[in-house]
Amino acid sequence: MVDVCQIIENEILPKVTKPLRYVGNEYNVIKKDWTSVKLRSLFAFPDIYEVGMSHLGLRILYHLVNEQPEYLMERVFAPWPDMEEALRKRNIPLFGLESYHPMCEYDCIGFTLQYEMSYTNILNMLDIGQIPLKSADRGDDFPLVIAGGPCASNPEPLADYIDLFVLGEGEEVILEIFRSMAAHRGKRGGRQDKPALIQELASIEGIYVPAFYEPVYDERNRLKKIVPKEKAVTPRVSKRVLRDFDKAYFPTEPIVPYMEVIHDRIMLEVQRGCSRGCRFCQAGMIYRPVRERSPEVLLEQADRLAFETGYNEISLTSLSTSDYSCVEPLIKELLERYSKQKIGISLPSLRVDSFSVNLAAEIQRVRKTGLTFAPEAGTQRLRDVINKGVTEENLIEVASVAFEAGWNQIKLYFMMGLPTETMEDLDGIADLAYKVLRKGSEIQKRQGRSKQLKITVSVASFVPKAHTPFQWEAQDTRELLRTKQQYLKDKIRDRRIVYNYHESEVSFLEAVFAKGGRELGQVLHAAWQRGCKFDGWSEHFLYTAWIQAFADVGIDPAAIANQAGSFEDVLPWEHIDFGISKEYLWQERQRAYEAAKTGDCRFGACSACGVCQGLDVETVLILEGEKLNDC
Amino acid sequence: MIVRIKYSKTAAGRFLSHLDLLRTFERIFRRAGLPLAFSEGFNPHPKISYGSALAVGVTSDGEYLDVEFTEELPLTDMMKRLKEVSPPGLEVLELRSLDTRGKSLTAVINMARYCVRVPLRQALSQSRLDEVISRVISEPELIIDRERKTGKTEIDIKKGIYALEGCIQEGMLVLEMDVQTGSEGNVRPEEILELIRKFGNIDMEESLRIHRQGLYIRDNPLVRSPW
Repeated sequence: MVDVCQIIENEILPKVTKPLRYVGNEYNVIKKDWTSVKLRSLFAFPDIYEVGMSHLGLRILYHLVNEQPEYLMERVFAPWPDMEEALRKRNIPLFGLESYHPMCEYDCIGFTLQYEMSYTNILNMLDIGQIPLKSADRGDDFPLVIAGGPCASNPEPLADYIDLFVLGEGEEVILEIFRSMAAHRGKRGGRQDKPALIQELASIEGIYVPAFYEPVYDERNRLKKIVPKEKAVTPRVSKRVLRDFDKAYFPTEPIVPYMEVIHDRIMLEVQRGCSRGCRFCQAGMIYRPVRERSPEVLLEQADRLAFETGYNEISLTSLSTSDYSCVEPLIKELLERYSKQKIGISLPSLRVDSFSVNLAAEIQRVRKTGLTFAPEAGTQRLRDVINKGVTEENLIEVASVAFEAGWNQIKLYFMMGLPTETMEDLDGIADLAYKVLRKGSEIQKRQGRSKQLKITVSVASFVPKAHTPFQWEAQDTRELLRTKQQYLKDKIRDRRIVYNYHESEVSFLEAVFAKGGRELGQVLHAAWQRGCKFDGWSEHFLYTAWIQAFADVGIDPAAIANQAGSFEDVLPWEHIDFGISKEYLWQERQRAYEAAKTGDCRFGACSACGVCQGLDVETVLILEGEKLNDC
Repeated sequence: MIVRIKYSKTAAGRFLSHLDLLRTFERIFRRAGLPLAFSEGFNPHPKISYGSALAVGVTSDGEYLDVEFTEELPLTDMMKRLKEVSPPGLEVLELRSLDTRGKSLTAVINMARYCVRVPLRQALSQSRLDEVISRVISEPELIIDRERKTGKTEIDIKKGIYALEGCIQEGMLVLEMDVQTGSEGNVRPEEILELIRKFGNIDMEESLRIHRQGLYIRDNPLVRSPW
């Protein structure tokens, strides 16, 4: 051990980029005695340190587990290729940052699945950690490999590699898993009998063991059904949900990195879930119902966090923070408490209405960064299709308020390739951008300001996702997406408007892995063997290698991404229950085609999505009905 | 109240860049609950000024910073709080209250003392090493290449080398040096090591440890500490 530490610290780290990614002695880090705990776990984030350390789920689970005296949790991130090379050259396995133990020596490794394009990194990390990739090849001496997070809502592409998936909110279930594992080992003198252990864990609600379910295909190779095998405890596995968000664990002494990470600030989670019901949005479906945290609890957490971390910014995080019923009084109180210490308050996402932009104006005294809004589609018709309750008037109004308040930069997020989209909808994107620009010039002229205006139009390609009303949709072909991207490019000809779009190749693969099933496991392996990793990083993305990998195993990716389905189709995640009923999703899809809007159950009638009844939970609002909002 | 702090950057903190250090110290002061004074304007910054920046990978026993607080506080309490909230890589060593805001640390600090240790791949005698060092020192000029954003430039570091001694310890070459640092010019310890390697044709490992023993104010021939 000492030798390896010396080699890492003296020979490897001085020569790699950003060595702090691998050091792991940050403030508030928890280093426990390896031998005196009952269970040693490793939180594995399949991207670099700066991305992983910005992830709230890691903060929550790391500190929750480490607060239990009998368990330890350490961290590992995907090593950048220079580090990987240095480790492989010396045959040093990838290690946990806290104790430098090789990955293969932990009892349990948990990967978080935030993004489909990080899957090759999971394989690569296991390999550098000297752990067999496939679940079936890992005997009793290897760690149990588990995974959770939003992409576990379609776990099938990773079924070959992961022993068990955790569906839903991890902090609700992780200690149950660990108690069960520790008890199992306790009875066997610290060793595990893996098949028995997995069978025991499968009885915990929210645990999905892919090996206990078998996809059956028809003669045309289409999924016919998913058959629970003998060992399966239940035909469908339901997600776990926190019921009382005020009582839920939240760390107040999080690790404070030395190096700059993406979200380098206090994250105060004001609520979980969103019920706006945008039909493309997976987060808006799988994190239901909305559960708010009370301002008293939040203020206490903020006090502790400010004192314990020394950060100079507090971000109010959630899927749509301006929907939090107490957002105004909360911000007012935070400003009062912290302005003297120069601790800023920030909102990560702004709803397109004057209420939100006024909030932003109140808290953001420096107008440097610009404001971001997401109308998502260019015409009213298409915004109704996706159930994004934003009107052109809303957008022009928020832009006016922002320009009046002194902002010069506005970012607009759109999607391209949405169901029913026509070229007119693309014209609409350009029109909106020009209208916002004209409004800005008008206001600047009136105010006698001359600072250069900048409107950024970012257009992502639509990716159909599991458990959304658009889960049956086809993605536009790459050719069509490219044509549309070019079409819009030609429409935007003002140098004050910056037009960004994503590479259609990446969106295409995202769709394949978002919609595809267990057959993709072998593609993943072939792609990894061909050198694919860090696929979400454009400098590492190898599209040709991916296409060769599909050819290697004889799977047509276009048949997955670019074909629409019907209600009768068996979806690869048919046995995975996030509480939203298939009937509701189909009905929402029908309503999309009628451009019919569906209201938010926080402010009106229940839309019968199935979550509250199916999972026996309910929406929790702090100020119910006092802030009615119809958009 | 303005406080001068002497601190060390230990092995655990040696990979911090100067920017990481700035961020970390602001957080240390906040965690300690000390009343930082801020600059005016829309984007206020805490009033902290640092001595010479330390390169990534280098440890040090003698770094300095000046920080301004809005209230007078007893130094012993302050020291206790700072020690409680410092991360593993940084250690506050001493505090001193400054009566007035004099010249900034960067304006006065102009000399650094380094110790460089590098494992040798060949036997080397003390007399041979002394001979190489004296040859280096007696050169009329010492031109080295520096990578700049604009490309390579050649500069003469001869005037920036004030003292240079070396010895052999357990197969390691140990060099101690006083060199110029600050706004007037900067000599890097690796550059001197490279000169020794080249002049003596000495075979050495690539892994080296650089430690800054202190920062000084040199007013030839006097050398004093900024403390």
